[in-house]
Amino acid sequence: MKRIFYLDGQPVPFTSGQNVLEAAIAAGMARQIPYFCYHPALGSLGACRQCAVKIYPHDDKHPPRVTMACLLPASDHLQLATVDQEVHTEHRKIIELLMLNHPLDCPVCDEGGQCHLQDMTVQTGHAVRRYSGPKRTYRDQDLGPLVHQEMNRCITCYRCVRFYQDTAQGDDFGVFGSRDRVYFGRLEDGPLESPFSGNLVEVCPTGVFTDKVFRHDYARVWDLQQGPSVCPHCAVGCNTLPGARLGTLRRVRARHHPEINPHFLCDRGRYGFRYVTAAERPVRARLHGVHSRQDAVLRQVATRLQEGRSGFLGSPREDVQSNLALFALADCLHAPFAALSSPWMEALAQQCMALPQAPTLNDVEMADHLIVLGDLGGVAPMAELAARQALRHGARLTVLASRPTALAEAGDYRPTRPSALPDLVTGLAEDACLQGSRRPVILAAAETLGPAGVHALRKTLARLPANARAGVFQNSPNLFGAAYFAADGHTVRLQHALRQREIDHLLCLAADPLGSDWGAGIWRSLAPGLQGVTVLDMVDTDTVRAAETVLPMAAFPERDGLFINYEGRIQAFAPVYRREAQVPSWQENTRGFPAAAGGQMHPLGPPTPQYWLGRLAELLDIVKPWQERLTFYQRFLCPIAPRPDHPGILLDDALRARFEIAAAPAAAPVGTEDWELDLFRWHGGEALADAAAELQSLAPSRGLRLNADVDASFATLSGPCGRLRLPVLPIVGMVAGVAALDQEGFAQLGLHPGEAVQIQWETVS
Amino acid sequence: MSAYRGLVQLGLGLWTTLRQIGRGASTVSYPEEALKLPPRWRGRPVLTRDPDGDERCVACQLCSAVCPTRCIELQAGEREDERRYPVSFRINFSRCIYCGFCEEACPTLAIQLLDAFAFSTEHHRDLIYEKEALLIDGTGKHPHYNFYRHAGVALHGKDKGQGSNESPPVNGRSNLP
Repeated sequence: MKRIFYLDGQPVPFTSGQNVLEAAIAAGMARQIPYFCYHPALGSLGACRQCAVKIYPHDDKHPPRVTMACLLPASDHLQLATVDQEVHTEHRKIIELLMLNHPLDCPVCDEGGQCHLQDMTVQTGHAVRRYSGPKRTYRDQDLGPLVHQEMNRCITCYRCVRFYQDTAQGDDFGVFGSRDRVYFGRLEDGPLESPFSGNLVEVCPTGVFTDKVFRHDYARVWDLQQGPSVCPHCAVGCNTLPGARLGTLRRVRARHHPEINPHFLCDRGRYGFRYVTAAERPVRARLHGVHSRQDAVLRQVATRLQEGRSGFLGSPREDVQSNLALFALADCLHAPFAALSSPWMEALAQQCMALPQAPTLNDVEMADHLIVLGDLGGVAPMAELAARQALRHGARLTVLASRPTALAEAGDYRPTRPSALPDLVTGLAEDACLQGSRRPVILAAAETLGPAGVHALRKTLARLPANARAGVFQNSPNLFGAAYFAADGHTVRLQHALRQREIDHLLCLAADPLGSDWGAGIWRSLAPGLQGVTVLDMVDTDTVRAAETVLPMAAFPERDGLFINYEGRIQAFAPVYRREAQVPSWQENTRGFPAAAGGQMHPLGPPTPQYWLGRLAELLDIVKPWQERLTFYQRFLCPIAPRPDHPGILLDDALRARFEIAAAPAAAPVGTEDWELDLFRWHGGEALADAAAELQSLAPSRGLRLNADVDASFATLSGPCGRLRLPVLPIVGMVAGVAALDQEGFAQLGLHPGEAVQIQWETVS
Repeated sequence: MSAYRGLVQLGLGLWTTLRQIGRGASTVSYPEEALKLPPRWRGRPVLTRDPDGDERCVACQLCSAVCPTRCIELQAGEREDERRYPVSFRINFSRCIYCGFCEEACPTLAIQLLDAFAFSTEHHRDLIYEKEALLIDGTGKHPHYNFYRHAGVALHGKDKGQGSNESPPVNGRSNLP
């Protein structure tokens, strides 16, 4: 039966557990009840006293009374009123009190136009400050490069603290002081430590916390071009809303997706977009390191391809269609193609693909028993946020990792060597506690677990009750899309062809085989056999710097495409804006009329990879077969592509089942006396986000993270592909015999997580 | 009777005409002669400066938002002393209809419709005015107003609590009653 209560005589439907305000907002009646401290993700507090309604009791004994809508549980046939003199007076007086000390900042406040306080003040009709006494002021804090504080504007709704301490479980931000001096900030100036600090900007109903990155290149929200996009910085695939103006990207906000990110976004997703505006980003075609005309560069690439000695390398960093376009071109030319840069990565992608359906982040929040393998927060911060919500609901959390990560501190930390993970995962099937849980969820960092570990996880899940789910996270947005092409041995075949001198030219799509991609050590050792490398990319990488020809590429908000996230959810993103090489200046504007009028158009930004590959197909005279193959594979792999604002379509189970035959890859044995490596990632680290200057100014220093007992200041690591000397950074509580290294280091050494390494120690006094 | 009344009417009309003979012309032979404009005349918008000589515009974009012909375009920036200012400010006068909405919307009294009106040219492109051409060296109609004296933000040279009607910064760490 449909449950309803009445607000001003209008029926409002509700579900059990909802409060009156929540139900009224859901029914589109928010205009009748102004509110501040209520937030759908943070719940009710009753601190602002703004959402008053009048309740008429059913009996004749009690008179009608004014109460807070956010604290009133909705119940059947409740009679409520807002069109009432008392309620109106309450609304008006409370907003007058809240505005008592609010400064006259709106013209210079970044919140203007998207300000909840502005909306509610206008809605309530408060216009004139009657009190003529002086306004209270505060000194502000420097909260780092991402969030700007302006405390004078505060209305003490406590949303920031409730988000930061309760939802994100950060401990370096809080509330201080008493009476009318309540202060929200850090104990001392300094950058906010939580990976979710950017959400303060979104939860704050006024301009106390504003986006510092947006501030430097500000545009009012009504001037922004916005469109549905998907975050390209990890496998979670949060929905985002990039905003651009005058051909430049200005900011990224969270876009509501009920199952992945209903409200929030991590700092990597929010501030990582600055790779688009980075000064080093290749935006013009290059030949031998010199800017050249597109046609000349394309002709050079076509000449290389015509020789028939080319290999093609795709990337999990790129969307499905670009990889497909490259694959179709390679297919037409009968050239070797691989979508992943290392056989290890290929095996990992296949194993991930073969896993049963992963839980959505919503399911993770509902879990009652969580097991986390590796540093989840460094790979996919939003998955960590979901895990923390489960913790708040009383879930048990066990973290198996080599070092005490932020999440491990919140749960039961079991120090574990990465090489021991596959066996431990197998042992989980016998775990009585896991067997007895109602909604157990296992979350893992894919690379720490490795192919053998993910394989063990699949076997374990088969033995656990059907309600047990597992999600494996990686920090490229489209590992599943690339795994389509990860049929056995593609990468090995490509490397073999290069070793046998069958090919001497490599066309890379957003791959960095000579830099920090997995397996880069092997590619670097094969590099002398390469006559030339062609790269299509949107960030400056080692491969871009070393390449013979560079074709710049449109960034994700500048084009459309499809990503497949960690659950196998196909999500589409739409072009948000057209990049212009620069904001047109006075002279350009006056002379910038179309060619027909005797002028030049503004130069547009880099084209899409499909455009480049199509042009190459044109030059090679294979447009028709290329297009035919492209359409064929597209129909086969994603017969129905979702619209950009669609919540996504899950991959076909039958397609994923094909990967189940993949045999268990053997992990190299590691002795208990050996030093082994684990992957270190910080929450802002990812190939694209690495080019975002503001975010990277917070990056931890590079080094080898070890147990604090080791007495050395430098370590020289030797792997099959090279040596690396790094400073030693002691970590208290880390497992003895494990050293944590960043992906770049792994690439240089040619090793993978969970493998043994030789270390020479050096002590500098 | 009616003929008599007609003659009187004719005579009165003629008298009204003859009376004007000695009074001189009521038209102005513009452009040789200057026009005397009413004080609330809405001419070409300009950007004014505050009494201290700094530009008033803080690039809040309200003028461009309210403009019915979308002829104003600007980009905000921040100066080293943390004052907001328009990096670029462009008005396309071939689209402007001199409605004065921008002046009404401006919270800092920066944009004002002053008395300039005759600036015809041969090309549309010459009617796109940039900030250099819009910013004047005076305060316009409002000689005393300075937005930053009233705003709560701190600038270099103006600390928190130094604005008009502000108390000195409180100690947000104090738990005293």
